[in-house]
Amino acid sequence: MLPTPSISNLNIERVYEPAEDSFLFLDVLQDELPFIRERFSTANAPTPLVVEIGLGSGIVTTFFQKNILTNALFLGTDINPYACSQSKETSKENGDPKYFDALRTNLLDGLRPGLVDVLLFNPPYVPDDTVPSFESAVKTDDWLDFALLGGCDGMQVTSVVLDHLTEFLNLERGVAYILFCRRNKPTEVAKLMRTRGWIVDLIEERQAGWEVLSVWKFSKAK
Amino acid sequence: MKILTANFVQCTVKACGSSPDCFPLHFDQQTPDLPLELAHEDVDFSPEFICNVLPRIEWPALLTTARELGNTQLPPAKPEIENPSAPENEQLLRDLHTLLLETQIIQGSMRCANCGHIYFIRDSIPNFLLPGHLVQ
Ligand SMILES: C[S@@+](CC[C@H](N)C(=O)[O-])C[C@H]1O[C@@H](n2cnc3c(N)ncnc32)[C@H](O)[C@@H]1O
Ligand SMILES: [Zn+2]
Repeated sequence: MLPTPSISNLNIERVYEPAEDSFLFLDVLQDELPFIRERFSTANAPTPLVVEIGLGSGIVTTFFQKNILTNALFLGTDINPYACSQSKETSKENGDPKYFDALRTNLLDGLRPGLVDVLLFNPPYVPDDTVPSFESAVKTDDWLDFALLGGCDGMQVTSVVLDHLTEFLNLERGVAYILFCRRNKPTEVAKLMRTRGWIVDLIEERQAGWEVLSVWKFSKAK
Repeated sequence: MKILTANFVQCTVKACGSSPDCFPLHFDQQTPDLPLELAHEDVDFSPEFICNVLPRIEWPALLTTARELGNTQLPPAKPEIENPSAPENEQLLRDLHTLLLETQIIQGSMRCANCGHIYFIRDSIPNFLLPGHLVQ
């Protein structure tokens, strides 16, 4: 078992507290370690860029920094300002890599296209009538609902990322790991993405309470 | 925000995406409410690391960013370094290390040369949110 990052000061009223989904994600990265190290050597140029959408506490990115590719470049985003600052703190508490920045943005908006080598996304996946309203979050300064509520089928946020994968990933070597729950209909998503030319693999599936969570890998042939 | 990040980001306004002026964002005009503040943060120096990052860098954009932040010492063309540990390369690699990884932009603003939109950096975190562009 690779060590889980320590997070000593987490305000769980402001930032998503690591839960079953986060821990499944860490286990998937541990399983994928040989694949990732084989695909992205940090001994040679160019150094890989690892990007996480939805940093939350920063647990996933920090785990990656410490255990998977210690010499990569790291960027992460979150719509929640408290998640951005918390992630920087978590990274620092665990020794910080040479390069990590948190950007407050929607998904990958603002990132130049084609840069991402490894994309990590544990999205808001819980089905709900709508995704939370940005305007009301600005008024109340409460961003926590963005962590879980994913709108119709829980897919409103994830499907935007899937539709833009080609734009953001490095097309030669880029790979994305994305988490789903069963109500997101991941097998149908996989089918659709295969018709778009992606290689899609189920890495791990797990019962978590009454939810079935799974992490899938998307890549193009190398 | 580290200076290397300025080499990875562009204006988020959709209509700017196709314009060559959406990158890099500019530091040449700061607002009095949020004066530009830079700080130095130590990062362990590795010449190999800097050499392996070099191919990712858009050099002309880095020159612009560095100049706007007051650094005019960079070579006009991207250096080609065969041997990162050779003593004659050390100074240049150390300078790049300090510029790209150790210089923090604590606060300030970045301007899109195409649409004029201003992005603020506070507590070292840049904000690229445009309320109209969220998933709804
Ligand atoms: C399920 S939490 C995962 C947090 C953390 N990565 C983990 O695994 O514990 C989802 C995160 O995505 C963020 N998020 C939701 N919608 C977003 C969007 N449109 N753009 C960026 N981040 C978003 C939330 O604020 C939240 O921090
Ligand atoms: Zn613009």
